[in-house]
Amino acid sequence: MTDEPVIELDDTEVHFENRSGLLDLFGDTERVQAVDGVSLEIPENDVVAVIGESGCGKTTLGKTAIGLQRPTGGSVKFRGQDIWEARDKRRKADIPYDEIRRSLQIIHQDPGSSLNPNQTVLASLLQPLKRWEPDMTREEMEARVLGMLEEVGMKPPEDYAYRYPHQLSGGEQQRTALVRSLLMEPDLILADEAVSALDVSLRVEMMDLMLELQDQFDTSFLYISHDLSNARYFAGQADGRIAIMYLGEIVEIGPVEEVLENPQHPYTKVLKWATPDMEVKHGKVDSPPVRQIDIPTPTDPPSGCRFHTRCPKAREECTTESPDPIGNGDRKTACFRVDPEHTYWESEPLEGTDQEGEIL
Amino acid sequence: MKRTDGGTEAETSRFRTPETKSRTRIERLRYKYDLYIRSPATVVWSDIRTRIAVVILGVYLLVGTVGVLLVSPPSASQGPIHVQPFQTMAHPLGTDGIGTDMVSMLVHATPPMLKMMLAGGVFATGVATTLGTLSGYRGGRVDSALTTVMDMATAIPGLPLAIVVATILQPESPYVVGIVLTINVWAGLGRSIRSQVLTLREESYVEASRAMHIRTPTIILRDIIPDIMPYVAINFVNAARIVVFSSVALYFLGVLPFSNTHWGVAMNRGYKNSGALYNIDTAYTLVEPMIAIVVLSLALVLLSQGADRIFNPRVRARNSNATGDEDSTAAVEGRTS
Amino acid sequence: MTVDDTIIEVSDATVAFEMERGAARVLDDVDATVNRKEILGLVGESGSGKSMLASSMLDAVEDPGQLTGEVTYYPDDGEPISILDLPAEELRQLRWEEIAMVFQGALDSFNPTQNIRQHFQETLSAHNANREEGMERARELLSELYLDPDQVLGSYPHELSGGMKQRALIALALLLDPDVLVMDEPTGALDLLMQRSILSLIKKLQREYELTIVFISHNLPLVANLADRIGVMYAFDLVEVGRAEDVIESPRHPYTRALLRAVPNLDMSFDEMQPIEGDAPDPVNVPPGCAYAARCPLADAECRAEKPPYEELSDTHRAKCIHTDEAPDAVPLAVNSMEAQSGNTGVTTGEEP
Repeated sequence: MTDEPVIELDDTEVHFENRSGLLDLFGDTERVQAVDGVSLEIPENDVVAVIGESGCGKTTLGKTAIGLQRPTGGSVKFRGQDIWEARDKRRKADIPYDEIRRSLQIIHQDPGSSLNPNQTVLASLLQPLKRWEPDMTREEMEARVLGMLEEVGMKPPEDYAYRYPHQLSGGEQQRTALVRSLLMEPDLILADEAVSALDVSLRVEMMDLMLELQDQFDTSFLYISHDLSNARYFAGQADGRIAIMYLGEIVEIGPVEEVLENPQHPYTKVLKWATPDMEVKHGKVDSPPVRQIDIPTPTDPPSGCRFHTRCPKAREECTTESPDPIGNGDRKTACFRVDPEHTYWESEPLEGTDQEGEIL
Repeated sequence: MKRTDGGTEAETSRFRTPETKSRTRIERLRYKYDLYIRSPATVVWSDIRTRIAVVILGVYLLVGTVGVLLVSPPSASQGPIHVQPFQTMAHPLGTDGIGTDMVSMLVHATPPMLKMMLAGGVFATGVATTLGTLSGYRGGRVDSALTTVMDMATAIPGLPLAIVVATILQPESPYVVGIVLTINVWAGLGRSIRSQVLTLREESYVEASRAMHIRTPTIILRDIIPDIMPYVAINFVNAARIVVFSSVALYFLGVLPFSNTHWGVAMNRGYKNSGALYNIDTAYTLVEPMIAIVVLSLALVLLSQGADRIFNPRVRARNSNATGDEDSTAAVEGRTS
Repeated sequence: MTVDDTIIEVSDATVAFEMERGAARVLDDVDATVNRKEILGLVGESGSGKSMLASSMLDAVEDPGQLTGEVTYYPDDGEPISILDLPAEELRQLRWEEIAMVFQGALDSFNPTQNIRQHFQETLSAHNANREEGMERARELLSELYLDPDQVLGSYPHELSGGMKQRALIALALLLDPDVLVMDEPTGALDLLMQRSILSLIKKLQREYELTIVFISHNLPLVANLADRIGVMYAFDLVEVGRAEDVIESPRHPYTRALLRAVPNLDMSFDEMQPIEGDAPDPVNVPPGCAYAARCPLADAECRAEKPPYEELSDTHRAKCIHTDEAPDAVPLAVNSMEAQSGNTGVTTGEEP
C-alpha cells in the first residue's frame, strides 16, 4: 500500500460535448477534448505544479485527479483503487469511496465564493468535522477549529471565528479555505490558482503557509496555475515537479529547476519568454516567438502535434505525427526534437519557422 | 488517521491545541439566541417598512387571538338593521342588513383569514421549495419529470381552478381553504427556485461541500436554501396575499360555503342585503371589510419589501453583537484599487 | 526619449466618502504629473488607490466618492484646462477625444446584443465624428493589433476570446485619436503570452500615434518591462516616483524595496523572496504619520508623528520617506539584482548596467 502513488492518472481522457440550442441538431455537436490522454502519478507528500494557458484543460485535469470530474476514458486511481469503480460500487472496492472522497480536497481560486456567505467561519469549519468525526464532542471540535485558525495566523481565533466571509480579507478567506481542507487530513489537495486572486505581496506568504502545512500534514499538493513564477516558487520549495499543459496534453514534465533552467519543449520556452522578469525595457519587448498569437480552439485541435501551428520549430512531420512523451525517470518531454534520431529531423520545416538546426 | 502503512499508529495529533478556551454551553446558547432571534429582530425593527408591517400584523394577530375572546361572535339581529357607524357605543361600526354587528363580523373573520394565509403560504412555498430544490440540485431524470409536472401545473389558470376545486370540495376548514386557493401558486415559484438552484449548484462553496462528501440534505439545507431564502420569503408573503384576495373573491361570489365568517362574506352580504353598491347610506357595509383587507395586504407588501434583509449576511452581521460590524477593507472600498 | 513636459497635472487630489463607520479617504492629497508621450506605470496592490488616481485624471470617480483638488490638462495647442471645473458636455468631449480610458474588467463592458462594428459606430456617432473616416481608422487600428478587421467587426463579443476583446477595446479607445490613454489593469484577465504580446503592441501604438499612456497594474514585472516612469502607490498616496530605472533598480522607499522582494520571479532565489509583514491601513483610520510606519523596519517616532514630505533624490526621482539613505541596507534586495550588480545604491546615473 505504501508504494502506491496517492493518485495515478492513466491515459485519462475528459471529453465534453457542447450541446447548444436547437439549431445545432442539424450540425455536429462540438466535442471539447479538455483532457486528452494524460498519464500522471502523484506520490505521497509531493508537489506537482501544472502550468498552462487558458483552455489547456488544467482545471479539468485537476478536478479529474481529485475525483470531482468523471473521466470519459482511461482511469483515475487512488492508491491503486479506481475511484469511479469504488463510487459506482460495481465490485467490492478495496478502499471505500467514502475514504477516497475524504482524502481528496480542493482550494478554489476565488476565496470570496469558496465559503458559504450565509455561515460564519466557525460554522463552515465545523461542517467537515461533524461529517467525518461524529465521535468528537462539540468542545473538541471547536478546539480543533480554533487551533487551526491560530496555526494559519488568524489570532486571536475568536475574533475570526464568528465572522461572516464578507468580513474577512481575501487572504483570510483563503486561509479559512485552507483550514477547511486540512481538517480532514487529506492525502491530496488541489490548489486551483489558489494565490492568483490574492494581492501580490500576500502570495509568497500564502504559499509559505501552504508548504509548511503540507509538510506537517503529510499532504500532497496539485498546484494549478498560469503563472510560472509562482509555480516555480511553490513547487521548487518543496522539491516538486512541474508539468506544462497544452490543449489537453502534458507536453513536458520534470523537476522544477531542471525544466525551467533547461526547457526542452518549444512551448515551455515560449512560456518562459512570456513570464515577465523585473527588467526595465521601456516596452522594447521581442515579438512573441510563436507563429500565431491566439490559441487554437479546443474543439478543433490541430492534427499531429497540437503545438505545430504555433511552434517556431515545426516541420512536416509534426503535422501528421503526435509525439509521445520521451524521456527517462522524472523528466519527460513530448517533442521529437529530444530524440536526435527521429525522422523529424529529415522532414521539411514549415513556413515561418526558424530552424538553425540546433537542438535546444 | 494516516493509512500509510496499513497498520494502526499512535495518534500524535497534528492539530495544535488552541491558546483560547472553547465556549461553554451557555455561551453557545447565548450566541445562538443572538444569531437567530435578536439580530433578525433588530434588522426587522431597523427598517421603517418592516417595522410598520410588523406592527400592523401584530394588531391583526392580537385581534384574531384576544379580540375574539372579547367580542361576541356575529349573528343575526344583534341589533337593529343598518345602524350607521360611529353612532352608538353598542355598535361602533354599525350593523349590516340583517342586524349583525360589524365589529363582531370583522373581528371574528380575522382568525379564519390568518389561518388561511398561513396554510396557503406554507403549502405554496413548502411544495415549491421542495420540488424546485430537488429538481435543480439533482438534475437528470428527476429534474425532467418534476419540470414537466410544474409546467403542466402552470398552464392551468389559478383562480378558475381554485373555483372549480372549491365548488367540488366545498371546504369548510380555513386551512383547507387556504391550500385550495394556492393550488397552483407553487408551480411558477418552483420553476424560479429551480433555476436559482441550478446556478447555486455551480458555486465554489457548494463544490467544496461535495468534495468534502457532505451529505446531500445537509448541502441543500445549509448551502442552497439560505441563499434562496429571501426569494422564498417574498413569495411566502405573496402567496398570503393571493389567499387574501382569492378568498375575498370566492366568498363574495358565493362559491365557498358561508360557514366561516369572512370579510368576503361581509362584502357579499353588504352587496346582497344592503344594496351597498347603489346606496351611499349602506356603503359602509362594503367599505369596512374592504379597509380591513387593504390594510392587511399593505402590511404584507411592506413586509415582503424588507424581508430579504433578514437573510442578508451583511445586514445581519451589522446588526449583531456577536459578529461585530467591521466590514473588511476590501469590501469597503469597492471600486478602489 | 520622453519629452519632459507635462500633459496632465494632479494636485492635492483627495477622494473621500462617508461610510457608516466614518469618513473614508481612498486618495490622500496626491500630487502627480504625467509627461507628454511617456508611458507612466502606476503600481500598487489592491486598495492602494491607483485606480482612484487614474479615474481622477478624467474626473471619473464614482459616487459616493467625492473628488477634490486640481487636475489640469495641457493640450498640445491651446490653454490648460482644469478638468474638474469643466461643464458636463465639455467633459464628455474631452473624454474619449483627448483622454481615453480602458477600465478594469472592461472585457465585460461590451454590449452582448451588438456586434463589434456597431460598438464602433455608436462611439463615432456619440461624438459626432465622420463615420466613414472613423471606420477606416478602426480597421487600421485593428490590423495594427494583429486582428482581422472583417472578422472582428462582424463578430459578437461572446465569439471573441479574451485577448481579442481586449485588443478590440484598445482599438475602440484609440478611435477618436486621443492624446492620452489611461489603462487600468488591461492585461489582468489575459494569458501569459497575450499579456506579453500586448505589451509590445502598446509600445508600437504609442510610438505610431504619439500617445501618452498611463498604465495601471499590480503586476510589477509587467510594468517594469513597459514603463518609462513608475509611480508606486501605497495607502492612497504616491510613495515613490521616478524613472523606471530608478524605481526598479535602485528604489529608496522601504515599501518599494519590500514589494520588489515579495513578488516571485523566475530569477530570484527562494531565500530572497519575503512577504511583507502586517496589513495595509484602513481608509477610515489612516494613521497620522507615514502610512507605512506600521510595517517599516526603519520607522521611528518622527515617522509616526507626521506624514513625511517628498525627498528629492534626483531631478527625476523622489520618495516620501525621511530614511531614504538607510533604506538600501535595511531592506536588501536580491543578490543578483541590478542594484547589487552595479554596486549602485546611491544617486542613479541613468545608465543601465
